[in-house]
Amino acid sequence: MPKQEKQLEVNLRFSYGEREVLKNVSFFAQKRELLAIIGPNGAGKSTLLKCMVGILKGKGYVRYNGLDLTKLPAKERAKYITYVPQNSLPEFAFTIEEFVELGTYATGGDVKKALKLVGMWERRREFITNLSGGEYQLVLIARALAQGSEIILLDEPTSHLDVNHALQIMELLTRLKDEKIIVAVMHDLNLALQYSDKLMLLHNGSIEWSGEVFELKEDILERVYGVKAKISTIDGKPILLAALE
Amino acid sequence: MKKVIILIIASVLLMFLGIAFGSVSISFSLILKSIIYGVKMEISKLLFVFGVEPLKELDTTYFTIIWEIRLPRVILAYLVGLSLASAGVATQALFKNPLGDPYILGISGGAAVGASIAALFFPRYMSIFALLFALLSVFLVYNISKVDGHIPVDTLLLAGIAFGFFAHALTSYLLYVGKERIHNAIFWLMGTFNGATWSDAKLVLFSSLLGFSFLMYKWRELNLLLFGEEAIALGLDLSFYRKAIIFVVSLLTAFAVSTSGIIGFVGLISPHAMRLIFGPNHRKLLPASALFGGSLMVFADLLARILLKPSEIPVGIITALFGAPFFIYLLMKRKRGELYA
Repeated sequence: MPKQEKQLEVNLRFSYGEREVLKNVSFFAQKRELLAIIGPNGAGKSTLLKCMVGILKGKGYVRYNGLDLTKLPAKERAKYITYVPQNSLPEFAFTIEEFVELGTYATGGDVKKALKLVGMWERRREFITNLSGGEYQLVLIARALAQGSEIILLDEPTSHLDVNHALQIMELLTRLKDEKIIVAVMHDLNLALQYSDKLMLLHNGSIEWSGEVFELKEDILERVYGVKAKISTIDGKPILLAALE
Repeated sequence: MKKVIILIIASVLLMFLGIAFGSVSISFSLILKSIIYGVKMEISKLLFVFGVEPLKELDTTYFTIIWEIRLPRVILAYLVGLSLASAGVATQALFKNPLGDPYILGISGGAAVGASIAALFFPRYMSIFALLFALLSVFLVYNISKVDGHIPVDTLLLAGIAFGFFAHALTSYLLYVGKERIHNAIFWLMGTFNGATWSDAKLVLFSSLLGFSFLMYKWRELNLLLFGEEAIALGLDLSFYRKAIIFVVSLLTAFAVSTSGIIGFVGLISPHAMRLIFGPNHRKLLPASALFGGSLMVFADLLARILLKPSEIPVGIITALFGAPFFIYLLMKRKRGELYA
């Protein structure tokens, strides 16, 4: 009998004062299935990731293999789950190596291996402040990899990147998904359609729809985003086209 | 490593200059003799329990000047500089901002109020009042900023600034009504090492060793603090370490201020200057800033003593007078990575 796959099981609610930002968001994720969270601005996507990793305190649970990560102290939790924040310009001139080393704080992970995975080992002595947005994103991912946790959450890993780096990042995530549980908030619907296995559509703090990538239908998008769009297929992958009248 | 050795050599050299210069000139050999004899004397006092006869103080003017006046003064100046610079490094990590200053938490404002009150009513207890009011102020600012057991750093910053203005108004009022009676406080408010004693130096030695060792031991956490809430995902107990850093910064700054008054700019400039050379990694930045801060303070005190010889300028005037332009120079240099090797 095959060994039971370790699963990430999430059920979260969160409010800022009176305003409910997440209303009972409940889902599963596992290895080999890259999960993309999509949805319009203000849907609660970033908030969801922040609650999962412990930056915000939500109500509910984040269970990994049955263990509730929200109950753990930060240093212990970091062994299981990590988070790649939205790409913003670095302010402090750490070298790439020093920066990635920050990821090993809780776990004592492998900096060299992480940097080699993203192809930045040779450039480890360069300052992060001199990197382009795409290169910095790779280094941010390396920092999460150095942490060695099996769950990686990413907040818009391809935003503001040129197509070359965006594809490079998505290819990297595809390579990683056999060993890690990957949950990524994606702004670019086409990249989400192309690279993810499962989709979860958030709208006003609730899951509006979720399922396999090829199950996404045009009417769902129209309902949530309020625009007409056409989903076509190229090489067996769905692609989103603007439906101009 | 080479750069750190340069800093250490500079420290020793400046301390020696600080001892050598003064209104009475004393020869190099007499200075060394006095220091060696003084150290022997202290050791013999410690060995008293083992039946060693303690040495008596030498009854010569030069020994008194070196051992009782100049040495404690230079050591106190160095330790105060070291304390303020270390506290500055930690404050800048706490606020994620290289322009942070240890006085921002309301410590200097509170200490000034305490010293002024003491000058009016209990002139002998100025240091103790300064210390108590400094700690009380941090406590106030801290509690004003607290939300659900957490400390949002932007609120902390604003509360500290607001409190600073309030304390400044109180101090001005006390100075206004106190007039002549408060003359001592005025000198203290401008910062001075005049009249430093061994007990001052020992007090600050205690607080600076404790505070600096803690920060050095936690250099990884200081690095992570720079990333704010992101650091939680990397495993940092952010809420705990913010509180711990506030506590340690208060300890370092309050003891420094209570012995020597309000000496500005050293806590701001030292980490900033060292960051340009050593980078933001606290493993190097913290010890470098501490060494630099100590040396800078001894140097400033030296200038305070010799610029208007034989009278003395409060050292706080020197640090601000030279510190502000130097700081502006650093700001203009502040293009990313410009000074990195």
